[in-house]
Amino acid sequence: MTIFICAVVTLLTLVYVFYLPGELYLGPEKTRAAYLRERKDAVYENLRDLNFEYKAGKLPDADYQSLKTSLQDEAATLLAEIARLEKNPPPASRRAKA
Amino acid sequence: MAQIGSYVLLLALALSAYSFLAGTVALVRRDHGSERMGETARRAGIATFAMVLLAAVVLVICAFQDNFSIAYIFHHSNRDLPAPYKFATLWSGQEGSLLFWSLLLAAYGFVLRLRYKTDPRLFAYASVVIAGVQVFFLLLLNFAAHPFAVMQGSLPSDGAGLNPLLQYPEMVIHPPMLYLGYVGFTVPFAFALGALIMKYPGEKWIHVTRRWTMVTWGFLTCGIFLGAHWAYSVLGWGGYWGWDPVENASLMPWLTGTAFLHSVMMQEKRGMLKVWNMWLVFATFWLAILGTFLTRSGIISSVHAFAQSSIGEWFGWFLIITFAAFLYFFLMNKSHLRSEHKLESLVSRESSFLFNNLLFVLACFTILWGTWFPKISELAQGHQVTVGAPFYNSVAIPVALLLLVLTALGPLLAWRKTSLESLKRNFLWPALGALAVGLVMMISGVRPWNDISYFYALMAAMLAALVSLTVISEFIRGGRVISGHSGQNLFASMVHLLHRNTRRYGGYIVHFGVAVLVIGILGTPFNREAEKEMGYGDKMSLGPYTLVCQSYTQEYNENYSSEWAIINVLKGDKQIGTMYPERRFYKASQQAQTIPRIRSTAAEDLYLVYEGLNPDTGRPIIKAHLNPLVMWIWVGVWIVIVGTGVALIPNAQAVVRVPAPKLVESHAPAGAGD
Amino acid sequence: MTKQKAIRRSMQCGFLCLAILAFVGSGDEAARFDHLGHQLMCICGCRQILLECNHVGCPDSDGMRNELMAAVSRGDSDSLVSQAFVQKYGPTVLAAPTNTGFNRTAWIVPFVALGFGLMTVVFIVRAWRNRPAPALAEGLCPVRGADLEPFRAQARKETEL
Repeated sequence: MTIFICAVVTLLTLVYVFYLPGELYLGPEKTRAAYLRERKDAVYENLRDLNFEYKAGKLPDADYQSLKTSLQDEAATLLAEIARLEKNPPPASRRAKA
Repeated sequence: MAQIGSYVLLLALALSAYSFLAGTVALVRRDHGSERMGETARRAGIATFAMVLLAAVVLVICAFQDNFSIAYIFHHSNRDLPAPYKFATLWSGQEGSLLFWSLLLAAYGFVLRLRYKTDPRLFAYASVVIAGVQVFFLLLLNFAAHPFAVMQGSLPSDGAGLNPLLQYPEMVIHPPMLYLGYVGFTVPFAFALGALIMKYPGEKWIHVTRRWTMVTWGFLTCGIFLGAHWAYSVLGWGGYWGWDPVENASLMPWLTGTAFLHSVMMQEKRGMLKVWNMWLVFATFWLAILGTFLTRSGIISSVHAFAQSSIGEWFGWFLIITFAAFLYFFLMNKSHLRSEHKLESLVSRESSFLFNNLLFVLACFTILWGTWFPKISELAQGHQVTVGAPFYNSVAIPVALLLLVLTALGPLLAWRKTSLESLKRNFLWPALGALAVGLVMMISGVRPWNDISYFYALMAAMLAALVSLTVISEFIRGGRVISGHSGQNLFASMVHLLHRNTRRYGGYIVHFGVAVLVIGILGTPFNREAEKEMGYGDKMSLGPYTLVCQSYTQEYNENYSSEWAIINVLKGDKQIGTMYPERRFYKASQQAQTIPRIRSTAAEDLYLVYEGLNPDTGRPIIKAHLNPLVMWIWVGVWIVIVGTGVALIPNAQAVVRVPAPKLVESHAPAGAGD
Repeated sequence: MTKQKAIRRSMQCGFLCLAILAFVGSGDEAARFDHLGHQLMCICGCRQILLECNHVGCPDSDGMRNELMAAVSRGDSDSLVSQAFVQKYGPTVLAAPTNTGFNRTAWIVPFVALGFGLMTVVFIVRAWRNRPAPALAEGLCPVRGADLEPFRAQARKETEL
C-alpha cells in the first residue's frame, strides 16, 4: 500500500511538472517606454504629495514653487521622451544591445 | 505512515533542487528551450509545496493516531493530550518546527509562483532564490533532523508528553505567527536579490513586494507580542519581556525589517538608498536565520532553546554561504544601485528616515552585541558573563526614546524640504500637550530625579503623548485640506484622506499604536509585588487591593492534576471579584507548571501566582504582582495590527484621475534603469 | 523543604512585604535590597533575575536572597555585595557586565557604534546635498526650457489635487 501511494504521488508530480501542453505565458519584455512610464508615475506621485503638503501648510510659497517647477520639469521631460518613443520606436539595433 | 512521510520529504527535496537548478539554468541561458525549462522549474516549486504539505499532514495524522513508533511523536505528545495541542505537536519540537518552517516557506513560494504573471522574469529570479533556501531546509529535514525517525527498541505505550509551558492556547498560534514573520522575510529578500542579479530596471519590484513586506512585518509583530503575552500569562514572574536570547533573536529581524519598511519608501519615491535597502533586506533575512541558529545550536544558553544538536553547524554553514552569495552578487552588480536624486534639505522626510534607520539598526546591533557578548567574553577573558535586563534596559531605552522623538517629528516633515517655520507651527500644540502630560505626572508624584527609571517613564509618557498628538494633528490637517476641496465634514474628509493614501495614514495609525504600547511599558518602574503563605481567611494587602484566601482545592483530569486557591479580591471594603491562581502537574511529562490569574483594568493588572503548597505548613504560597498599565500594551498591539491592515488596503483613486497610458510596445530594452 | 527552610521562607516573605512597604515611603535598606536583587541572577539555571525567580523549591534563590538580605542589613557597600556574590557564584551571577576591564567594552561598543553611525549619516547627508542632480534616466536630464511647456501643462493638470 505504501509503495502504491508513493508511486502514485511521484507519477502525478512528474506529470504536473513536465507535461506542458499549450503556449507558455512569458509576459511582455519591459521596454524603455514602460520603464519611463513607471518613472513618470513616481514623479506624479511626488507632485501630488508636494501639492498636498503645501496645502497642509508645510512649505512656504517660495520652496513650493521651486520644488514644483523642478518636479514638473522632470515629469515633462519624461512625458516628452515617452511621446517621442511612442511616435518613433527605436530601431532594432537597440534591441541587440540588450 | 512514517515511510510515506519520509518519502514525500525526499521527493520534496528532489523537486526543490530541480526547481533551483533548472530555474538557474533557464535564467542563465535565456534561449527558446530554456523558457520551457523555466516553466518546469516553476511547477517543481509548486509541487514542492504539495509534497511538504503532505509530509506535514502525515505528521499531524500520526500525532492524532498516537503513533509513538515515530520518535518525534513520542517525545512531543501523549494519548491524553487535548486535540489542539496534538495539532500543535507539528511545531513543538526541533524536527517538526523545521518541517513547519519549510512548509511556510513552500507556501509563500507557492503563492509567489502562482502570481508569476505580474512580471514573469522577476518572479522567476525570486522563485529560484526561494528554491535555494528551500533546498537547505529540506536537506536539514532529510539528513539532520528527520521528523519521521522511528523509535528504536520496544514500542512505548504512551508518549513523553508536550512541554507544559506550551500547553496554553496562545502557544498554538504564537509559533505560526512568528514563523510566518521569520520565513516571510525570505520573499522580499528573494525579490531584492532577484532584482539585483537581473539588474531590474526601475523600482517597480518594490511596488510588487510592498504588500509581502507589510504582511510579513505584521505577522512578525503579532508573533513577538503573542510571545510576550504568553510569557506574561504563563511563566508567572509577572513580566512579559526578559531579554532572553531567543526573544532577542525575534526582535533583531523585526528592527531591521521596520527600518526597511521606512527606508524602502525613499527608494520607491526618490530612487535613493538603494545599496542600503539591499543590505537591510538581506540583513533582515539573515538575522531571521541567525535567530533560528541561536535557538537550535545551543551556542547561546537560553531558557527557550531547543536541545543542543548538530544542526547548528548546518545553520552556520548556511549563514556563511548566503552571506558569500549575496556579497558576490552585490559586488558584481553594485553599479546598478546608483542613487537617482540628491538631498534637497536637512529638514525633510528623507533625512528623518536616515536617522530613523540609524537608530533601528543601532538598536539591532546593540541587541546582537549583547546576545553574543557572553561568547565574546569567553573567548577574550576565559569566562562567560551574563548580559541581562539591566544591560539592555540601560542601552536600549535611550535609543527607543530617540526613536519616539523621530516618530513624533517624522509626520510633520514634508518630502524634500520643510520650512522650519511650519515645523515650529505644527509642532507647537503637540509639544504643549506633551508638556502638560509631563506636568500632570510630576504633580501626581513621579519624581524623575529620584530614579533613572522614573525619568525614563516621564520621558516616555511625554513622547507617547507627542506622537499621538502629532498623528491626530496630521489627520486633522489633511482632513481640512480635503474638506476645503470637497465640502465634506471633517470626519468624512479624514476617512477620505485615509482611503487616498492608506499606506501613509495606516502607518500613522501604527505610530499611534506604538505610542499606546509605550504607555503600557512605562508602567514597569511602578510595579509592586508581595508574597505570603495564606491559610483560610488570611489577608494580604497590595496597593489598593486586599486579598483574602477563601479556600484552596484540587482537581484531576487525564492530562494533569491541579491545585488552586480561591482568593477574594477586595478594594476598600467592597469585594470586586474572585481569582483562582492555579498550579498544574502534568502526568506524562512529570512537570509542574503555574497558571497565573490576571485581573486586568486600564489602570493596572492584579497578577496572582499560586506558587504551591509549603510542605511543612501545608499552606499555599501566593505571590501577587500589581503591574500598572499593562493592558495598554495589548491594546497598542491591536492598534498596530489595525494600522498594518489599513496600510494593506489599495489606495482609492486620486480626485483627478490620471489616464492610463496606452501600452505601445516600442521594442527597445529598458536600458535606462541599468 | 526542611522546617528551618520553611521558617526562613516565612521570614523572608514577611521581610519582602515590609521591604515593599518601606520602599513606597523612602529609599533605604529595602530599596537597596530591591535594587541589588535586580542586578543579580538566580544561578539555578532558570536564567531569571534573582528577585524574579519564582519557582517554589528552587535550590538556590532562597539562600541567595537571604545572603543578600544579610549583607544589606550589615550595611555592606554595593560593590562589596557584588564582589562577595561573584566570589561565591562566579561572574555569571551579575545580571549585566561590570564596568571594569574587558567587560567595559560591552557598554562602550553600542555608544561607539552610535557615534560612528551618526558621523556616517552626517557625512552622507552632506555628500548628498552637494552632489550634482543625477540624470532622470539613461541619457535623460530634466529640461528647463519653454519647449516642453505642453508636457508641463499636462503634468500640472494630471497632478492637481
